[in-house]
Amino acid sequence: MASALQGILSTPSARRVCEQSLEQGAGNAGNRLQSCQISVRSSHLSSAACLSGRSKLFLAASTPSLTRNSRPGLRILAAAGSKKLGNRKLRVAVIGGGPAGGCAAETLAKNGIETFLIERKMDNAKPCGGAIPLCMVGEFDLPLDIIDRKVTKMKMISPSNVAVDVGKTLNENEYIGMVRREVLDSYLRERAASFGANLVNGLFLRMEMPSDANAPYVLHYNLYKPGSSVGVPATLEVDAVIGADGANSRVAKDIDAGDYDYAIAFQERIKIPDDKMVYYENLAEMYVGDDVSPDFYGWVFPKCDHVAVGTGTVINKPAIKKYQVATRHRARDKIAGGKIIRVEAHPIPEHPRPRRVRDRVALVGDAAGYVTKCSGEGIYFAAKSGRMCAEAIVEGSEKGVRMINEADLRSYLQKWDTKYWPTYKVLDILQKVFYRSNPAREAFVELCADEYVQKMTFDSYLYKTVVPGNPLDDIKLAVNTIGSLIRANALRKEARKAVLT
Amino acid sequence: MASSEEERVPATNSAPSEVAVLPQKEEGDSTAQSSGKKKPSPLEKGGTLRGEAAEGKDPSPAALGKKSSAVSGEKFEDPRWKNGNWDMTKFVKNGKMDWDAVIDAEVLRRKWLEENPEASSNDDPVLFDTATVPWWAWVRRFHLPEAELLNGRAAMVGFFAAYLIDSLTGVGLVDQTNSFVGKLLLLITVVGILLVRKNEDLETIKTLVKESTFYDKQWQATWKDSEEQQKK
Repeated sequence: MASALQGILSTPSARRVCEQSLEQGAGNAGNRLQSCQISVRSSHLSSAACLSGRSKLFLAASTPSLTRNSRPGLRILAAAGSKKLGNRKLRVAVIGGGPAGGCAAETLAKNGIETFLIERKMDNAKPCGGAIPLCMVGEFDLPLDIIDRKVTKMKMISPSNVAVDVGKTLNENEYIGMVRREVLDSYLRERAASFGANLVNGLFLRMEMPSDANAPYVLHYNLYKPGSSVGVPATLEVDAVIGADGANSRVAKDIDAGDYDYAIAFQERIKIPDDKMVYYENLAEMYVGDDVSPDFYGWVFPKCDHVAVGTGTVINKPAIKKYQVATRHRARDKIAGGKIIRVEAHPIPEHPRPRRVRDRVALVGDAAGYVTKCSGEGIYFAAKSGRMCAEAIVEGSEKGVRMINEADLRSYLQKWDTKYWPTYKVLDILQKVFYRSNPAREAFVELCADEYVQKMTFDSYLYKTVVPGNPLDDIKLAVNTIGSLIRANALRKEARKAVLT
Repeated sequence: MASSEEERVPATNSAPSEVAVLPQKEEGDSTAQSSGKKKPSPLEKGGTLRGEAAEGKDPSPAALGKKSSAVSGEKFEDPRWKNGNWDMTKFVKNGKMDWDAVIDAEVLRRKWLEENPEASSNDDPVLFDTATVPWWAWVRRFHLPEAELLNGRAAMVGFFAAYLIDSLTGVGLVDQTNSFVGKLLLLITVVGILLVRKNEDLETIKTLVKESTFYDKQWQATWKDSEEQQKK
């Protein structure tokens, strides 16, 4: 396409024709015309870029053209690539009403786009650790009363029960928020509805792909009327779809997004006696070891009035119950006398799906696979990706005026990958190095005792930026890391030779 | 369903499997394939490995089910282990601190706990840090024997290589080390022996290289798709 344009634009008469046809496509709201100036040089990149939808970058009015070439009178005013919608707004369906869906619907509705948020269970309590970083409270304007507990201390416990207290470097305003998913999700959904999103209580079944670039997607779903548990088949026509329906996403299946590796996270909610609950007042525990998980960790997280004890694994999913028993055994003294009130499990994606965007459908949150390694954190990234995708749609459609295309959604992917790739990669490296074997886990816990490590870890977790620290401290940390790993591995090698008496 | 599953490397080695492959065919084709196979449950796919590989990259013997038969009893007990730490006064031999004995004791404690995981207790926390054993004790115990081994191997290989080159080219040992090529080969040999100490290390290095770029490939997968479309 680019080379064809190059050919067309090379003759003056052809250029005039091109101008006319492009201006026709732009519609007659001349003063709102987003135009770009193409310099007809031999580089076809600028022309192709202009006409493929990234033309938003080239505003005729504000930029005295960077691309003006030496030959005057050859400027072509080309319209943005997609057609205007006439007298209606862009319709976008958000499938799934969790953090990703709620934040996406809110941003879309706030900017005047006709939004449909389809959620199958409005009071769903999704099995989840429920930890949100500090920055999420500020960035998403969360009211403080949805936070049940503020965790300010963590305990990391190694395979040989070396226990390290983490959290000495936090100041009084810093904490990890523990929330109930049903509370958080419904708050975000209600907020989206208050901005004008249409909340639909329905189960998404499948969607039909559009026949051309301006045809709508036809969504088939089961509508649940209030009070009824029987779904009524219904359809909905929309111009774009955001798939925010979690790890078992049907939207992902419909667009052939491909599969991903996932961890199975298994959790038991245990109500423990009040005196034992005092210990977990604002403390969470992390157990590492071969007995607890071969590639993840076991946890005890405090919830509103009980604790959640759980573990997870990618590579040995059939043995998850064995790992759960081992986790409960390790925490045995601290949860003694507790009663299991609920057992739940859910898959956690390990990496993004091979295809996250297709035509006018984009995946966000768990459906896209945006869960970090090492810590398994997903709520913040789901909310943020929902918001970023919605912002890309708002920008690409100029607040609902134009049809969007795949390039607009790819710009969301571009921004996302650029912004969060370092975070994901660093956590991947940490997981590969420190969850590898028992000696590595021992070294990990030993390193966590260091204050510099604690500060760096919490800064990057709470504020979601990979903070470059003091280089001298970094070198000391690197030396300590290598030392710990060598010592732990040396002890382990000796253990193979030793015989217990 | 079958066409959207990943290509999987056989589970006998724990090399990471291929990045998930995008289904190439239309939905109609896959039904013929999947009719013969049973759909795997959620616990059997998504990265699940089988056999020993499922216990992790470097599983302890306890995780593999190979428990020592001599192990019995519940808690770890040792007269020198007090209050979650090794009592250093019990390790003094002939008036000097016997760090080797501390290392041995810690080895046994970790091995015991690997095979009999204990509940972590707040009243009786473990406080021992391996950094209390000084660095030279670690070097003397672990590094020096291996260094001796490697230096010995390097000397044997070097002697034989020098002899061979002398017999082939007539250049003596002193003249070999004076030439640039000789110095370069010597450097390569030294660095090579540091990195590749056993034959297994070659496999380890290959796996490490593949592992370190695997996650990047998974993230880039969505962009490969767009590149292919642009080329059309």
